[in-house]
Amino acid sequence: MGTEAEPQSKVNNNPIYPKKPIEENTWGDFIWNSRTGQVFGRTGTSWAKIFIFYVVFYAGLAAFAGLCYYLFSLTLRLDQPKWILGDSIIGTNPGVGFRPMPDQEENSGSSLIWYRRENEADAAVWYNQLANYTDAIENPEEVDSLQTCSYDNGLRATEIKSCFVDTKQFGTCNKNNAFGYRSGEPCFLIKLNRIFGWEPEPFGLNKRGQYDPDLLLEDLDRQKNLPDSLRKYITDGVKSNIDPSKFLDTIWISCTGENVNDKETLGPVNYWPRPGIPGYFFPYYKQLGYQSPFIFVQFLKPLTSVLINIECRAWAKNIIYDKIDRLGSVHFELMID
Amino acid sequence: MERSGLPFVTGIVHEHITMDSFEDEEQGQGGSDEWLDVDDDPSKPFLRPVRIYGSRLARDKDVIAFEERAEEREWDIDDHKIEVLELQSRYDTDLHWGLSEKQVLKNRKHYGENFLQPPPKPSAFLKFFRAVIGGLNALLWGSAFLSFLSYGAQYIYTDRISNDNLVLGCALIVVVHISGAFSFYQEFKSSRIMESFKTMVPRSCVVFREGSRAEIDVKELVVGDLVEINYGDLVPADIRILECQNFTVDNSALTGEAEPQKRLSVCTDDNPMETKNLAFFSTNAVQGTAKGVVIRVGNKTLMGRLAKLACGLDSGPSPIAVEMNKFIMIMTIRSLVFGGVFFGLALAIGFSLIDSIFFLIGIVVANVPEGLAVTFTTILSVTAKRMAKNHCLVKHLHAVEALGSTSCICSDKTGTLTQNVMSVAHLFFNSAVALADTSEFVTGQQFDMQDPGFAALANVAALCSRANFRPGQEDIPVLKRTVEGDASETAILKFMELQMGNVSRYRVNFPKLCEIPFNSTNKYQVSIHDMSKTSDPRHLLVIKGAPERVINLCTTILNGNEELLIDARQKEIFNSTYVGLAKLGERVLGFADCRLPLDRFPLGYKFSSEDPDYLDIGFRFVGLISMIDPPRASVPDAVSKCRSAGIRLVMVTGDHPVTAKAIARAVNILSEGNETIEERAERLGCTVEEINPTTIKAAVVSGAELKLLSASQLRNLLRNHTEIVFARTSPEQKYIIVDAFQKLGYIVAATGDGVNDSPALKKADVGVSMGIAGTEVSKETADIILMDDNFSSIVTGIEEGRLIFDNLKKLIAYNMADNIAEMYSVWLFMVLRIPLPMGTIAMLLTVLGTDVLPAISIAYEKAEADIMKLRPRNPKKQTLVTPQLLSYTYGQTAVLECTAGFFAYFLTYAQSGWLPGDLIGIEKKWHSRSVNDLVDSYGQEWSYEARSQLGLTSQTAFFVAIVLTQFANVICCKTRRVSLFQKGMRNKKMNAALIFALALVGALVYVPNLNASVNLTVLRPEVWLAPLPFAFFLIIYDEIRKFIVRNFPKTVVGNHLDT
Repeated sequence: MGTEAEPQSKVNNNPIYPKKPIEENTWGDFIWNSRTGQVFGRTGTSWAKIFIFYVVFYAGLAAFAGLCYYLFSLTLRLDQPKWILGDSIIGTNPGVGFRPMPDQEENSGSSLIWYRRENEADAAVWYNQLANYTDAIENPEEVDSLQTCSYDNGLRATEIKSCFVDTKQFGTCNKNNAFGYRSGEPCFLIKLNRIFGWEPEPFGLNKRGQYDPDLLLEDLDRQKNLPDSLRKYITDGVKSNIDPSKFLDTIWISCTGENVNDKETLGPVNYWPRPGIPGYFFPYYKQLGYQSPFIFVQFLKPLTSVLINIECRAWAKNIIYDKIDRLGSVHFELMID
Repeated sequence: MERSGLPFVTGIVHEHITMDSFEDEEQGQGGSDEWLDVDDDPSKPFLRPVRIYGSRLARDKDVIAFEERAEEREWDIDDHKIEVLELQSRYDTDLHWGLSEKQVLKNRKHYGENFLQPPPKPSAFLKFFRAVIGGLNALLWGSAFLSFLSYGAQYIYTDRISNDNLVLGCALIVVVHISGAFSFYQEFKSSRIMESFKTMVPRSCVVFREGSRAEIDVKELVVGDLVEINYGDLVPADIRILECQNFTVDNSALTGEAEPQKRLSVCTDDNPMETKNLAFFSTNAVQGTAKGVVIRVGNKTLMGRLAKLACGLDSGPSPIAVEMNKFIMIMTIRSLVFGGVFFGLALAIGFSLIDSIFFLIGIVVANVPEGLAVTFTTILSVTAKRMAKNHCLVKHLHAVEALGSTSCICSDKTGTLTQNVMSVAHLFFNSAVALADTSEFVTGQQFDMQDPGFAALANVAALCSRANFRPGQEDIPVLKRTVEGDASETAILKFMELQMGNVSRYRVNFPKLCEIPFNSTNKYQVSIHDMSKTSDPRHLLVIKGAPERVINLCTTILNGNEELLIDARQKEIFNSTYVGLAKLGERVLGFADCRLPLDRFPLGYKFSSEDPDYLDIGFRFVGLISMIDPPRASVPDAVSKCRSAGIRLVMVTGDHPVTAKAIARAVNILSEGNETIEERAERLGCTVEEINPTTIKAAVVSGAELKLLSASQLRNLLRNHTEIVFARTSPEQKYIIVDAFQKLGYIVAATGDGVNDSPALKKADVGVSMGIAGTEVSKETADIILMDDNFSSIVTGIEEGRLIFDNLKKLIAYNMADNIAEMYSVWLFMVLRIPLPMGTIAMLLTVLGTDVLPAISIAYEKAEADIMKLRPRNPKKQTLVTPQLLSYTYGQTAVLECTAGFFAYFLTYAQSGWLPGDLIGIEKKWHSRSVNDLVDSYGQEWSYEARSQLGLTSQTAFFVAIVLTQFANVICCKTRRVSLFQKGMRNKKMNAALIFALALVGALVYVPNLNASVNLTVLRPEVWLAPLPFAFFLIIYDEIRKFIVRNFPKTVVGNHLDT
């Protein structure tokens, strides 16, 4: 049987594997290792090589992305969006806009117009905004493609020509009057969103644009919550106008308090020049210098120190209203102290 | 059949991989053990005489602690040494009468009940709880908390209530529970399989109480009971033997000794483990009967003590857990750094404090890979399942990878490397040694029965035997049949059955007339047979026994047809053969026969077995048969596979050094041409001191020698010898060996089936037990169970484990890319102040939706190189998440995906009228409800509602782009280095997963209501094309990257790109 040797002979005393110096790498060494000249575990040249690799990689990627975008941009047109109206997400249902508007950078999501009547600076914020807006309209940079349209002269927006907005028709809502803000009768600019190629389908007009009294009643009856005052205005207007089809070629605008309380506190509303936007401003075809048509609503006796919820709606056959999604309408709050 | 011409040549014919080739590879890999901890200087030669017991002082603290704990429980018993009468009074028993009922109750109260207290198992709830909060889930809990915090802050401080953070927080909590439940279920399932394995502890036993014999439940047994054990029984407790007949027990489960141990009624050794008058709880009585007194019961038995020792150990975190912890650490630091930087930036840009805090939280949360916990567990489970198919049952999911990281296997011998069955290994006849096939699948004849030399030996072997097959086993393969008889007779019987066909039919022709059974004084066994049915009617005497005894009774020796006189030369051949076989650790038996002269022993002569008058005739020596518990056939191959995989194989066995060495040689753990110092000394004919120890790479170390080594000496031993066999080791020593390897930086797998292995199994990074032969205790402590008891299954396990490490890297590269791309989108959203590119829900949909199946399918990726030819990973350098991997995901794939996302995003906007330049800086107005007339690049005015719809559309486009580029990414992740074109798209699971993910994203985008509920909306078909160029760009770029990695691995960039 096997011979048992002395235990110590089992141990081979001489190292077979050379002993390597143990490098205690501390965090400090990781950041700057003086022995190897490594910064964050790499030498300078090593870092440079990695850097160059990444420069090449990102340059390649950027060039590739640029090329892709360039090729894609060839499918776009400069004069109109790739998708319009129903094809586009913007759809065929224009929203309603208002001015003045709180600064969204400072107060994102706010639609509260608040000022102290006594405080000139407070009010100035708002009426200056309106003044700037009307000033830009009054002094258009481009005039060649603009024309003075009216129901009477029959001029309408075409693919290249669009209409002036006459700023003299807004009565007391003007710069000199500080748009009524100082006097506690603030004016609000209400406009319809521009949608490329969108044309209104006004109430009471058939497909050929002719007045049809039955159709008008039908159209008006179909609208829910149409304010009586507006209905009266329309029906009266039809009676008093020689050519109701021109009178009716309008997107009607109404502004009311959002609920019963608001209606009371808001008080009477004045529309300058009238509660509607003439249809001849449409369609919008990205005409040079196109001026968005608007009206002013003036709240004549809003209660002070009360927050009033106001909703303005646009009315036409092809404007759909949805309170939750705020389709065909806009909401803002007014508070005067 | 293989025969060697020389009298003695070991004819082991397994394929060897030579050490040379192995070392070449080592050099190619840059030195072998460079990464191992070299904490004590091996160049410092320690003085030769190391018999200094004080050297224990140098041992490591925890080893000392372990030993002290072991000593606390040390078996300071003298029950085997004391006089029987003293024993009787010690346990208040009567060694004839037995215990009285009263005394039974008393002793039970005093010494305890006889059952093994199972270790306290954590409750299922606790396990589930751990699975839910542990590992990656901790990270998710953290981000869920931050999400709720963010939601709460939003609720309190702003009026913009977005449910995103609430949804995110809830989703995270759902996710941690899903992934927790998943890993819990997987381990629960494994433990269920375990339950079915519960081996039978002895159910009942025969006991003498109050003078009468009774059969009682083993649990009822108390100290002092008088018990009777018959062969076939399991020993019911630790027993001092009072009287016995030919009593033999199989201690292999407890001590690792392969051979059954004779038991006697006298104390033969001071050491209770070595003495022959003790039989231990749960060992198997294989022969004879015994009567004894119970001295220890239940947990106090040797078995119980070992079981308890094993439970108390903690193996520390698994290698993969270490990697995961590193990963979590990296992610946490990165999240906080990124969050912090952008918090500062946000403040600098002019965001309010509260908005900046939202950004901080948003970025921290976006940086956390929410999907990884689920996919990670799933990939481990998938692999565990696949391993189970290959007979590797995984008890703890983490063990799946641990096996792959293994750099050292400490393997038990008996039952793991060997078959745990005696089998004929060598035969000596015609003056030459022949090798027998010991594999477990032999079915037919191996030798030529026409050879007169062999025929004579076979004749003796078949006739001179008391062993018989149990009847009714004709349909069972010979090697699987049950035999009545001792181990060596069984081996010979089976061998002969294979040679001759039906041995019992053969025996019928030669009726046995007389028999002298084997006894320990004669050391031989003789039988005389009636040969009247043959042409030569002379009686045949056959004898087998200890070779030196048998040869002394012989005058001639058979060589072919000749009978040679036994002269000095013949004696010398005999001796060298005998010693040579014994040195192989084999049990050798000599065989001789003789035709009894008719004049002295006429037909009908009455032979006497008590008073044999026929032993002096001078027999004819026919040969030797040697037996061994042979290695399993598949083991040498598995060993060489482990070798080429750079894994060290060390045998740690409780068996004797000679046997251990022989088996180690046979299975190549000690490779050919690699001598131990004793072998070299013997070959050169000098003393061991004269040998230069640096040239010696192999060592056989016995437990006694090991005891004398200090911790640093042991480490030097392990470091300086590539091939080591530890024999006669105690359970504690097995533990110490595993510990020493771990201290050297190895990740150790320990295999074993016995109770004695369990402390080592527990201590090792991966404990591997045997499903069939393994004891309950070893299975309890193991992490992996080889269901077929086949060591070679471990190789499959290692392969799977290595594969999974690669695949987990791929998984992380895949799973993090979109996470980070989404984080970048948040950054750009913040810096450029553009409309939101990707909502929180969309982010969750990618990482927890479309990503999941492709990620899991990575588990089915085949290895891209021959992973079993590589060295085990260096746990210090080859980590799961390397700086290169982070650079790749953060700097390359994520940037690319983000670019693709933004391309789709800007494209959607541009088609609707918003050119990219006009989007920058617009964020506040864009997301303001009160702005109802925002002007686009074409002068159109967008109401809030229209803008939200457009925003949703572009977010959907971004989402689709991320999903589609992730498809490209997962295709890139199929390989880390090899070209995709070489690999192909043959992973069917991945292809299916991609199709499913495509269907899923299609459904999310197009199914009405579903899309609205997850904040997505319908896309124009052509938008789906937008990310495709980037997907192709990614694939082509990645091919270039892999090309650089393959061809310029040593360059800075090549190395940097190698994830």
